[in-house]
Amino acid sequence: MSSNIFIIDDDESVCRALKTLLKTYDFEVRTFNSAQNFFDTVAQDEPGCLLLDIHMPGLDGWETQKKILTSGSDRPVIFISAEKQDNAADRAVKVGAVGFLQKPVNAQTLVDLINSTAKNLPVIAS
Amino acid sequence: MKKKIISIKQKKLKKPLLKKRTRIDLEGQIRLLTNDLNTIKRQLKRGVNREKFANKKFRGEMIQGVDREQQGADREKEGADRERRGADREKLGAGREKLAIVKFREQTNQIEIRDGQLRQGADRERLGANREKLAEEQIYIRTKAIEATFDGIFIIDALKSNFPIIYANPSFYELTGFTKNEVIGKNYFLLYGDTENLKALDEIKIALQHGKPFQGEMQHYKKNGEKFWSLLRISLVRDKDWTVTHYVGNKTDTTLMKQRNLEIEVQREELLHVTRVGKLAEFVSSLAHEISQPLTAILSYAQAAERMYKGREPQLQEILQYIINDDQRAAEVIRRLRYLLKKSKPSIELLNINILIKDTITLMMPHITAKDKVIKFESDSKLPFIQGDKIQLQQVILNLISNSLEAMESNKDAHELLISTHLKDANMVMVEVKDSGCGIPKENMDKLFGHFFTNKPDGLGMGLSISRSIVEAHGGILEAKNNSDRGATFYFTLPVNKGNDQ
Repeated sequence: MSSNIFIIDDDESVCRALKTLLKTYDFEVRTFNSAQNFFDTVAQDEPGCLLLDIHMPGLDGWETQKKILTSGSDRPVIFISAEKQDNAADRAVKVGAVGFLQKPVNAQTLVDLINSTAKNLPVIAS
Repeated sequence: MKKKIISIKQKKLKKPLLKKRTRIDLEGQIRLLTNDLNTIKRQLKRGVNREKFANKKFRGEMIQGVDREQQGADREKEGADRERRGADREKLGAGREKLAIVKFREQTNQIEIRDGQLRQGADRERLGANREKLAEEQIYIRTKAIEATFDGIFIIDALKSNFPIIYANPSFYELTGFTKNEVIGKNYFLLYGDTENLKALDEIKIALQHGKPFQGEMQHYKKNGEKFWSLLRISLVRDKDWTVTHYVGNKTDTTLMKQRNLEIEVQREELLHVTRVGKLAEFVSSLAHEISQPLTAILSYAQAAERMYKGREPQLQEILQYIINDDQRAAEVIRRLRYLLKKSKPSIELLNINILIKDTITLMMPHITAKDKVIKFESDSKLPFIQGDKIQLQQVILNLISNSLEAMESNKDAHELLISTHLKDANMVMVEVKDSGCGIPKENMDKLFGHFFTNKPDGLGMGLSISRSIVEAHGGILEAKNNSDRGATFYFTLPVNKGNDQ
């Protein structure tokens, strides 16, 4: 079983590292350094879970999630952020995300959360 | 009395010159009051009324340009009131310009008229008496003024070897708490005994020895030991030979001013602290973000490698595990730092401090058991509610517990951490965190709550300083003491909620 993962993060090293890690779990991983880049490349109906950074130039994580949601897509979104915002996890769920992970993320936590999206269960971890 | 004389005189002078304007004063001098000195001069020179002056052997005095008012004032001279003196003074001033003395000398048959001369004899005496009275009044007013002033004023006799205080005003007694008997005749410098600020006294002595005035602010003690701040100024009184005869001391109570200044200083300090913490929080936040990115990458790489080499390369596996551990340690430091400097609006609610402590202990439990320690909580179940920010207070308790745990870490025999609550008094709830650790070295006691003070290798030196700010913001105090046996106790108070909504 191989599923798609998209990572949007403006930090190139973070993208590469997460990709390297998730590939060891046999995910198909594609990375994007901006939300615009992602929207330009990936079709709306192409299946796959999105790992989304919050603090980014251009469209930030919240805006990106909103755009995905209003476009009618049911793509599962997991926020991954270095920013420790109060209630960020709550807010993430409220805006329709699957979860919120604080950087640096533990591999197993991340993979569990990604796998849960397949079952369409919201899991909150922080 | 005067009117009587005038009437006699007017009888004698049957056709007196300028009849209505002639007056005789107490010494028998005739006074000619006229607006026109020249007319009189001419008349006298022509011989008109000359005999009368010659016969009576009078010397005359003419007042030139004296107006009715002044004449009126003149007539009222006998009254001993202030008005009279005022009018007199006026007339004196006027007279300096307007009086003329007419002297008729029988022997030489000469008429002498001099302008600008003041009246003589009795007039002068009377003036002298007035001056004396004036001087007396001046002394009276000045004495009253010195007695009325808020400043403590004292006078020292500089000619006597022991420099005794010869006068002190009521404010001085009030200010110092000493009585007249305890002050008069005593040397100022001995007045306060050895509790006095010796350095300031030396400065005063040096200034006075060099014949200079002194000015300085210093802390004094009242007779009852109460401290007060005063601005002391000592000036020199010299006689005409320039010898210093007296010292005049002027003591202003500046305690209130000083207190206000101190309060302002404290507020400024607090503001600075807030700004510093705020700035630091901002700085830490952006720093944390920047560091978290590479930490994320490092952790992910290491975990990826760990998986790639699973079951192989045991040495590499070990190294990867170390990288992962250290990465997580660094992340933990950032997390703690963020937690400490968390910028959130305080939300005040009614709290049961016992529940808050229990929750915090539960939160800390994994930590406590991991370190092989035991935590005991002795709570006073009847404690009233307090008001405060739950998160902030939890932060304080968390900080105190983790400090205590660390203090006990090095000591294998130290196991027990005791937290207790009780009602300190009707207004304050007391929380104590007592450890059996290494205690606080005496030299660190004062610095303990300062910013960036730490004796832990990986400490930030922010925990206690922030905790104290939080407790103080809640209206309580946070202090530390060493236990009599071993270890230290950190304790803080919080005000009991006095609202009706308990």
